[in-house]
Amino acid sequence: MSRQELLSPEGLRIDGRRANELRRIACKASVLNTADGSAYYEQGNTKVLVAVFGPREPRQRTALQQHDQAIINVEFNVAPFSTSERRKRSKGDKRLLEISSFVRQTFEGAVQRGVYPRSQIDIYVHLLQHDGGMLEACVNAATLALVDAGISMDDYVCACTAGLVDEQPLLDLNGQEESAINMPGLTVAVLPRNGSIALLQMESKIHATKLDDVMQLAIEGCKHIHKKLDEAVLAAANDLAVKLNNSVQ
Amino acid sequence: MTSLILSPAEQDFITRGVEGGFRADGRGSLDRRQVTLRTNMISQANGSARCRMGHLNVGTDVLVGIKAEVNTWTPGEPDNIGSIVCNVECSPSAAQEFEGRGADELNIELTQLLDRILNGPQSGICLEKLCIIPKQAYWVLHIDALVLDVKGGIVDTLIWATRAALLSTKLPRVVVESIEDEDGNLQSEFDVVDDAEDQIAVEGVNNLPLTVTFNQIGKRYVIDASEQEEAATQARITVAVSPSMDICAVQKSGILRGFSPSLLTEILHTACKIAREEFSRFKDTFAAVLSNQSSNEANTGSTFLGAF
Repeated sequence: MSRQELLSPEGLRIDGRRANELRRIACKASVLNTADGSAYYEQGNTKVLVAVFGPREPRQRTALQQHDQAIINVEFNVAPFSTSERRKRSKGDKRLLEISSFVRQTFEGAVQRGVYPRSQIDIYVHLLQHDGGMLEACVNAATLALVDAGISMDDYVCACTAGLVDEQPLLDLNGQEESAINMPGLTVAVLPRNGSIALLQMESKIHATKLDDVMQLAIEGCKHIHKKLDEAVLAAANDLAVKLNNSVQ
Repeated sequence: MTSLILSPAEQDFITRGVEGGFRADGRGSLDRRQVTLRTNMISQANGSARCRMGHLNVGTDVLVGIKAEVNTWTPGEPDNIGSIVCNVECSPSAAQEFEGRGADELNIELTQLLDRILNGPQSGICLEKLCIIPKQAYWVLHIDALVLDVKGGIVDTLIWATRAALLSTKLPRVVVESIEDEDGNLQSEFDVVDDAEDQIAVEGVNNLPLTVTFNQIGKRYVIDASEQEEAATQARITVAVSPSMDICAVQKSGILRGFSPSLLTEILHTACKIAREEFSRFKDTFAAVLSNQSSNEANTGSTFLGAF
């Protein structure tokens, strides 16, 4: 894909967005019945379903139990029908394990683990459709699910990706943009209230002078996503309040 | 299938209840739970369905996606049929022991069962029609199932979801051109038409079987066991029946003991009777789902963002 196609002279990308536009986000909390917390999150055509269980007793009692804080366990499952070509990934796939590890480390910084000593919090992520921004969608969906489960956190964790084409930073890369040759991809997750960065990952290369612009754009994107997640949490809470009111009457 | 630990008192309660014709949720021994079905939700799959069996929207939940791919023929394979490849995966959100490699054994068992029911003439699907050019290319239907939740009786829900997904699968049309070359041999080439409107259904899907799972508890048996009833089950047998009342597959999962042969004959007979009711229930539910679908466009979010 030539640079020209990724960003046209009029400033439009392949899917018609401007350089600083996010994809359409739709999300909902409390979508599964058995899980303590769950969320469904869509960003453009990337769709993620997350189930959170916890805090509960760790499966392997002796080995991993920590006396003063909770253990966070993340399992990432990519559905074989998630990509346009059907592909089944084995459980030990390195890319999946890497993403699970990133998500775990991100939330180890945000969840107040000291509140739940000797227990385990499980985050099970299912990727139902893949169109770029896999890690960002997982983090956002997991945040929503953790809030739905009522687990103590310091703040929301909002993630966003950004890239760079012809010196122009692009916000929220979709699948085609992400896989374009020489497209740098930066994923940032922030805690919106104090702006601290929980996750930072970059692929390919960006000139040092440009890095700041790209990162600032991604952080702006995170703030917008924070609003969306907050709306979803309020919607779920309202839904619950309505149901409680109806049953009380 | 998942390990729910019952106390001896609970086990006794369930066993005596079933023997007396009572079940904890008030059903009769041959009554089934409520079914919720949705199809066409995965936009990039050729067919998909999500099925839940249970009371009050809590139950066994299975999501199935079907993707069709063109495979090149290799010598040694049958030269005039397509094929079906099944894959079942249980998510750890269904039970904690499915984490990591914990669900491997169950996944393999369910995959093999699904394969046994679908891969062959007993499934009713016309595999010859899935062949594009003999000895050259054929369609492979990849059936991928994701079990999101287990509340007793995975197999029935799995088969319902698979059947619904196959019934709503649309394959792109293929145009085959054959030209005779100098030696008089026929050289064929195919071209897949890339038109979303010009798609055909898989032939023979109306003959797909449905399963009925019998759980023996004490001296009697029940259908569509709940989680607790499954934990009190002594032996379980799954029977797959086609619409023409042929028995397509039988699988016994022994937990504590075996069946007596006379009970087995009774079960096979009852299976056909129940299957008849199940087919009409499936037809009604599926028709209702199709009419409720606002547009033909597949939308993954519809089953999660809306009520299910």
